[in-house]
Amino acid sequence: MASILDREHTVAAPGFNRFLVPPAALAVHLSIGQAYAFSTFNLPLTKLIGITHSAPGDWDLKQVGWIFSIAIVFLGSSAALFGRWVERVGPRKSMFTAALCFGGGFLISAFGIHLHALWLIYLGYGVLGGCGLGIGYISPVSTLIKWFPDRPGMATGMAIMGFGGGALIAAPLSVMLMEHFKTATSNGVLETFVTMGVIYFMYMMIGVYAVRVPAPDWKPEGWTPPTRPKQLITSANVAVDMAWRTPQFWLLWVVLCMNVTAGIGVLGQASPMIQEIFSGRVSPAAAAGFVGLISLFNMAGRFIWASTSDYIGRRSTYSIFFLLGIVLYSTVPTLGHWGSVGLFVAAFCIILSMYGGGFATIPAYLRDMFGTYQVGAIHGRLLTAWSVAGVLGPVLVNYIRQFQIDSGVPKAQAYSITMYIMCGLLLIGFLCNFAMRAVNEKYYYRGST
Amino acid sequence: MKGRLVFMWIVVGIPLLWGVFKTLQNAMKLFQ
Repeated sequence: MASILDREHTVAAPGFNRFLVPPAALAVHLSIGQAYAFSTFNLPLTKLIGITHSAPGDWDLKQVGWIFSIAIVFLGSSAALFGRWVERVGPRKSMFTAALCFGGGFLISAFGIHLHALWLIYLGYGVLGGCGLGIGYISPVSTLIKWFPDRPGMATGMAIMGFGGGALIAAPLSVMLMEHFKTATSNGVLETFVTMGVIYFMYMMIGVYAVRVPAPDWKPEGWTPPTRPKQLITSANVAVDMAWRTPQFWLLWVVLCMNVTAGIGVLGQASPMIQEIFSGRVSPAAAAGFVGLISLFNMAGRFIWASTSDYIGRRSTYSIFFLLGIVLYSTVPTLGHWGSVGLFVAAFCIILSMYGGGFATIPAYLRDMFGTYQVGAIHGRLLTAWSVAGVLGPVLVNYIRQFQIDSGVPKAQAYSITMYIMCGLLLIGFLCNFAMRAVNEKYYYRGST
Repeated sequence: MKGRLVFMWIVVGIPLLWGVFKTLQNAMKLFQ
């Protein structure tokens, strides 16, 4: 079994169609994207004893909320820690490991529900599942970049779009399964966890089976590497241990962190935000529709913006994210004041498309700056910016809103300051992106790749 | 090779389209 998983056994035969690799990557990303929909389990997990209501001994929302937080922390840490291992062993072994961790995480969590031991769920979905998320997220990235040297943005955008799409599948699937397994003595969460663990493991295994790496001398038919060097696209390579010592790595870290912070806080608070800003005009059901709509734009933006970046360049793409973001965020309070729901929704649809686009364009940006040699590992280390933004974004939105309300500001206007702070963050991102220059030659990797 | 390509895209395309359809159904409530 081990040999089948080794990199040497995944080298594609001549004539292999490279468009088989994106669906393999998508099979993994569509599965791990489930994490974004974990909140569908939050309420049911607080009613495991009471079934229809929270009974004494049931966990509360705060305790349950930690499951997702732990998973996201372990996503960032494992991507950073195992990046080099992923590069060394290749996509098949790392995708298989991700499938074991992610599927196993669900099964351990189901056992935790059976024993009513929350720590087992923290360990299962949080720690083990989180490692599955991190390893699974980065495992197909460098492979896709190597298969599509002519369109790296499009290729990685397609895979990372899957991470956004995974939530769209998992949310209705979880609800359907819990409904199906519900009995008088169970609210169906345990059975749903077991089912999802098995389904996701098998689905990820399709990706494990289908993924291939190109032969070392392979290049797309009819494609020749550009002969005229471009300022921000290197033909050299930088190793991961050297990459994070360059100013470019940290500039990109801030670029990603600022872009994600601006989007993630809104994403988590979208439903109450639209209801409070348009009080009495937007029902909870309509607000759920708003969340669905921005999730769709989050997913579509990943593919569209990353593909666009192949034509207009990565730095220009991020400049659009930051400048357009500043314009839109600064307009939002006015749109709320005008009572224009349509324009408000349209503004957030574009903002969230750029949030997704930021995630999907970063691997190609890294490839442009550091080459293909260890781009997956470098990407893994850069994802720590996501972990930081995951804390920073919601804190900014939630705490400032609460502070404003406590200070007597009407709920409808409690988001205005936050929007202007987001503009400030986006300006920092813009300046870092603007300062991007080619990596100094002293950092280049001189060995064999 | 072509059959495998079609199969793989169907395997990832159908769940994704289903998810998009379900989300759009939900999103329509915003305009009702």
